[in-house]
Amino acid sequence: MWLLKIENLTVKYGVIPAVRNVSLEVQEGQIVALLGANGAGKTTILKTIMGVTRPAEGNIYYQGTNINFFSPPQRVRLGITLVPEGRGIFNRLSVEENLFLGAYHRSDREGIEKDLSRVYSLFPRLQERKEQVAGTLSGGEQQMLALGRGLMSRPILMLLDEPSLGLAPLLVRELYAFITNIRQEGVTILLVEQNATMALKVCDYAYLLETGKVKVQGKADEVQSQEDVKKAYLGG
Amino acid sequence: MFSLGYFLQQTMNGVILGCIYALLALGMTMVYGILRLINFAHGALITLGAFFTYFVLVRFGFPLVAAIFLVLGFGGLMGLVLDIVAYRKLRGGPEVALLITSLGFYTFIENFMKMVVSPQPYAFKAPSYLTTIFKTSFLTFRTIDIFVIGASVVIMWCFHLFIKKTKMGIAMRATAENLEVASIMGIEINRVISVAFVLGSALAAFTGFMWGAKYGQISYDMGFLTGVKAFVAVVIGGVGSIPGAMVGGFVLGLAEILSTAFLPTSFSEYRDGMVFAILILVLLIKPSGIMGVKEEVRV
Repeated sequence: MWLLKIENLTVKYGVIPAVRNVSLEVQEGQIVALLGANGAGKTTILKTIMGVTRPAEGNIYYQGTNINFFSPPQRVRLGITLVPEGRGIFNRLSVEENLFLGAYHRSDREGIEKDLSRVYSLFPRLQERKEQVAGTLSGGEQQMLALGRGLMSRPILMLLDEPSLGLAPLLVRELYAFITNIRQEGVTILLVEQNATMALKVCDYAYLLETGKVKVQGKADEVQSQEDVKKAYLGG
Repeated sequence: MFSLGYFLQQTMNGVILGCIYALLALGMTMVYGILRLINFAHGALITLGAFFTYFVLVRFGFPLVAAIFLVLGFGGLMGLVLDIVAYRKLRGGPEVALLITSLGFYTFIENFMKMVVSPQPYAFKAPSYLTTIFKTSFLTFRTIDIFVIGASVVIMWCFHLFIKKTKMGIAMRATAENLEVASIMGIEINRVISVAFVLGSALAAFTGFMWGAKYGQISYDMGFLTGVKAFVAVVIGGVGSIPGAMVGGFVLGLAEILSTAFLPTSFSEYRDGMVFAILILVLLIKPSGIMGVKEEVRV
């Protein structure tokens, strides 16, 4: 069963197409990776799924409904959550306020409290710093905060934009363990990465984008074994 | 020489004017924080609020409490209408379009008031319970002075709680910092903006009332200079900073009164000029304002 389906998506900034005729599917419960170099259109696709950017052509289906004309808040209420690139946390708000904003669309107070303590047990550092202004956190801690905030919305589909960007190798490994964990809890994940080696280790299916188009797609091991992918993206 | 009593008296006057500027600056900085709009229409709300209470309180003799709630409601409603009718359609367009619209709205209201009420100033004869005089050995003051200070403190405290503790307050700060990320948190941006306009406009209308009751005279164009000065207070305090707006308001109010009080009388004609001299001075020393934060340029 697919959870998200994109058909012939074209997105333009002005007249310049950033995404050209891309079709992709995300199966329920899977981790799907969107790989590619800078400027390949990965972030644009995530933003379009979230509704921040409007498609020029094509359709986006989620749980069987065309969501093309849904506003970002409507999509959040349907269970789609984006953890934006560069973390996109609110620097001037406290850690806890950031986390509460993740649950902005929810009103089940007890559930929110429960999820908050769950996030704190996943990332004890955040609890230690909950009163602190988020801008004062280290890069790794900000990434934890962004992920924790994403979880606070109880996502069905989580869109992760370059989660490993700027993290130390040890933290990247922790991050990927975390991603595998939340998948096991039933969250479907669409992962955007430049770090193809790492992403291909955890994902079920991968799409490789080049200048706005899908160049290669397939199961993780198939993509990994392709010669030109190895050369261009996996270092030999 | 100037006596201690004179100094205290003038300081109190400065604080009162500071309260008025601070409340106005609060509304302006809230809107600016989210939309990057210098809302000139804010000044129009001062005029409208002043005349509204003039009719309700002075002409029709409503009780004070009723008049307060009515003017707050009236201001809030005007803010909502202004947002929905004028500003909402321009969202996503260039920021300068908003600016021109707010100037246009101000000009419209000013001329509308000139036609409807009168080009002549009105005497705002506040009810006697607001003008009762108290004398102590140092200070002479009226009930309205206590009222302005008291009401301003209460409003600022409520506003502080609102912005710090409530869900809408947190959403408003988040939206001011990053509109796009706020929307992907599920925050309805349009609602946040409307709330900012409603609150800001209600405050501006209420300030119009205080202005009238305190200074005893209202006119169709009273909102312009007051609005501009409130914006100066915003800049002095640090653009987009809420505590800064309050600090800026008080600094400006005190500076305006004290400079007139202690400079030779020949300078008193330059009272308004003083305000802008202070602005230039602050900008020279600390361009981001007293409590300003450096803000990243929006792409």
